[in-house]
Amino acid sequence: MVNKILPTKRVPGNKAPISEISGSMPLRFGDDPYVWACWLYYEDGRTQGEVADIMGISRATVNSYLADARSRGIVNISLEPKRLSSLALAQHVKHHFGLDDCLVVPSDDGARSLIDRLGAAGGQALSKLLKSGDTLAVAWGRTVLAVADHVAVSPLQDVTIVQATGGTRADFAYTPELCAAALADATGARLVNLTAPALVRSREAREIILQEPLVEDQFKALSRANKALFGISSLRPHSTIHSSGFFESVSIQDYLSKNAVGVVAGRFLDGQGLPIEGPLDERTIGISLDALKAVSMRIAVAGGFDKVPAILAGLRGGYISVLVTDAATASAILSADGVPPASAKPLVRQRSQDVAPAPIPLRSQVKKFLNDADEVVEEMLEGLLAAHASHIVPIGSSNRALVAKDGPRTGKVGLVIGGGAGHEPCFFGYVGKGLVDAVAIGNVFSSPPPGPILECTRAASGGEGVLYVYGNYAGDVMNFEMAAEMAQMEGIEVCTVLTTDDIASSSLEDREGRRGVAGNVFVFKIAGAACDRGLSLAACEAVTRRANERTFTMGIALEPSAMPQTRRHNFEIGPDDMEIGVGIHGERGVTRESIAPADEIVDRIIDQIFREMRPEPGDRVAVLVNSFGGTPLMELYILFRRVEQRLSARGIGIEANWIGHYCTSLDMVGASISILHLDAQLTDLLHHACDGVALHVV
Amino acid sequence: MTTRGTQQVVDMFQRISLAVSAEKGRLSELDGAIGDADHGITMARGFAAVTKALSAADLQALFPSDVFRMAATTFLDAVGASTGPLYATALSDAAQAVSGHRDLDTTAQAELVTAMASGIMRRGKGDRGEKTMLDAWIPAAEAAARAQARGAQAGDMWSDILAAATAGADATRSMIAARGRALRLGERSLGHLDPGAASAVIILEAMRETFTAA
Repeated sequence: MVNKILPTKRVPGNKAPISEISGSMPLRFGDDPYVWACWLYYEDGRTQGEVADIMGISRATVNSYLADARSRGIVNISLEPKRLSSLALAQHVKHHFGLDDCLVVPSDDGARSLIDRLGAAGGQALSKLLKSGDTLAVAWGRTVLAVADHVAVSPLQDVTIVQATGGTRADFAYTPELCAAALADATGARLVNLTAPALVRSREAREIILQEPLVEDQFKALSRANKALFGISSLRPHSTIHSSGFFESVSIQDYLSKNAVGVVAGRFLDGQGLPIEGPLDERTIGISLDALKAVSMRIAVAGGFDKVPAILAGLRGGYISVLVTDAATASAILSADGVPPASAKPLVRQRSQDVAPAPIPLRSQVKKFLNDADEVVEEMLEGLLAAHASHIVPIGSSNRALVAKDGPRTGKVGLVIGGGAGHEPCFFGYVGKGLVDAVAIGNVFSSPPPGPILECTRAASGGEGVLYVYGNYAGDVMNFEMAAEMAQMEGIEVCTVLTTDDIASSSLEDREGRRGVAGNVFVFKIAGAACDRGLSLAACEAVTRRANERTFTMGIALEPSAMPQTRRHNFEIGPDDMEIGVGIHGERGVTRESIAPADEIVDRIIDQIFREMRPEPGDRVAVLVNSFGGTPLMELYILFRRVEQRLSARGIGIEANWIGHYCTSLDMVGASISILHLDAQLTDLLHHACDGVALHVV
Repeated sequence: MTTRGTQQVVDMFQRISLAVSAEKGRLSELDGAIGDADHGITMARGFAAVTKALSAADLQALFPSDVFRMAATTFLDAVGASTGPLYATALSDAAQAVSGHRDLDTTAQAELVTAMASGIMRRGKGDRGEKTMLDAWIPAAEAAARAQARGAQAGDMWSDILAAATAGADATRSMIAARGRALRLGERSLGHLDPGAASAVIILEAMRETFTAA
């Protein structure tokens, strides 16, 4: 979140009536229309339309005068220095610590206490960040209570506030119970208190209490938290941690001797943010540091010089994803972390003069359903795992490596696929019983790194070796090769088949250099069936390779796709053009031509496929008519209609037809046609039963 | 005490991260013309992950080579794609090149550049003239070696490196891609600056700023 502080136009109360001065330029502007336009717009607060009327010129000219005036330095827009520096600081802290967001309140104006200012900023942040359906875990402290005093949310539904630590003596105003209750009150949320003491007398007492069904339920509610709000306590002599009575002073000494610098949600951290073990651990009831770290948004509100080491520990340890602090503390944190003060200046960087900037064409942005463009892959994975838990589950803690629930088994060759996101339902949709065992998922249109691929390999391995099948792209090849080397060092034998079905991507002489596109779905199907039948690794590899060699695909795009992060088209296709030979990454195709009727487009593709496939009457094929994302089924059927006509005219039988979204390129409008030239074994494997989210054969 | 060399390398990654994220849009635009429009996003994501990991590290315990090694792993895990393995290899080769050094003198700085270039060549099995990042990295490495041979000072050496890398990157406009996604475009890739070469210049510029800062 960023402070909403924009340059404000000064709007004086009394404007001169337009008619009085229309057309002729007042003398004080000399003969410079730029200065006049700027004066009217910025000083008099006129709209651009009014300025146009007064000056007797078009609104477009006014607009260009104003823009030129900015670039010529006639007008400089300046932010109030204090506010500017707090914006720059927030940006710097966010960047330096890799936070999701940072809010820095401007330096002290002396009128309000730091706690009050932090509370106001925290309240402002929480008002923006808290959404319907959230479960917010709330720790305790003066700052947290101050946040509760300032939070003002528009009506939200189904918000739950859970007290994150057990309760304390009510000797002070900011107990865990009161903090949670105040926030629930301010947000109209359901309140779940943790009805246990924060600190009990013995480990046995803790165990007994945690087994109480009521407390168990409360912890279950806590484990559902997707957001957390907490302060950070310093351990310096005058810190409230000593006076709150939350901890016994004897115990605190023990932690201090182990270099504790701060406390987060009742747990002690050292300077690097590592948890410190101590006598209180087995007697503390409340959210653990690991559980806190697992909460997806972790909002810390804290400030003051005494807290710098503690906040730094919270940042280094990764407990904070959104930090609310004040300007003085923010710069102290940066300098304490070794950032030279010079680079804490506003981050204005000179463009390298040697590389001329490419002209940026004027385009409009595409609309998409997004929360945070940087989180599209993670959010998609959360959704698809929630939807398809019956088929696929994450292997480890990351959702980037998924395994079929009913896939790997001892004595079977494991099948691992993977690739970038943006091709849904590729690749996760082909994971399941009788299909692929595990899938690694990268960023949008980017190969996954070796880490998740290796995880998949281990999960898929049943002792008979693992087969990798993926598209022939430089990035995928490098990452999968690195993973294969690592797997082999662990004693897992790995064979690889690269899919190369895109006949438009290079000539027949360079077949191995072609890229893999939608036809890889056929290859996955055949490979999955071969593995499930219990064939040896060499036999699985051989038949998979043959499936790839006998799969032919060509694609045509009508409109380009747009990346979620830019929401701009990756390139433009003219109003009457189509792009022939496109792949599945929103990249340009091989040639561009005027758009033709659907049948002609199909003919062109089929002609080229037939030239390579050389089918004989009586041959059998499987057909895939695939949408790139933006083309509806209606048009896919129109394409299939012609495909069927051409195949039957040649006397070719269709063994299976798959029509729909099988391998997409985000929202690209267009389609590809793939044909698998069957033989007896491939036909048999094609019909082998399988159960994946996007492919089901009974 | 954190060694000066370690602090410099951390500083260098900060500068690279800032510079790449400032140019994110332009790099993605360049990539959109001949690739899949994500180069800026990918590079920014990778180096942001590096600075995040470094901010959590205890620098006092680290040598410059440790920082490079950490950066290599973090970059790879965050990015994947083709830039992941390429820069991860570049950075881990850089780590080897300065292994044992506490400070990075001009010779060590030159070795960093040559190690990074050769790491990218090895991993990508590529060479110059193929319209890739190597068209900036290879001339940069050669300039570094020449500057070393004549005993140039850091400032002098880095301006040579930058000039060579920039000229190399500009030359990609007149090349037809031989690798990566742009390969499929054939002669349609002509006239476009390679985004990988452009980001290489940005990285080298940030390195120059680091090692020539007073």
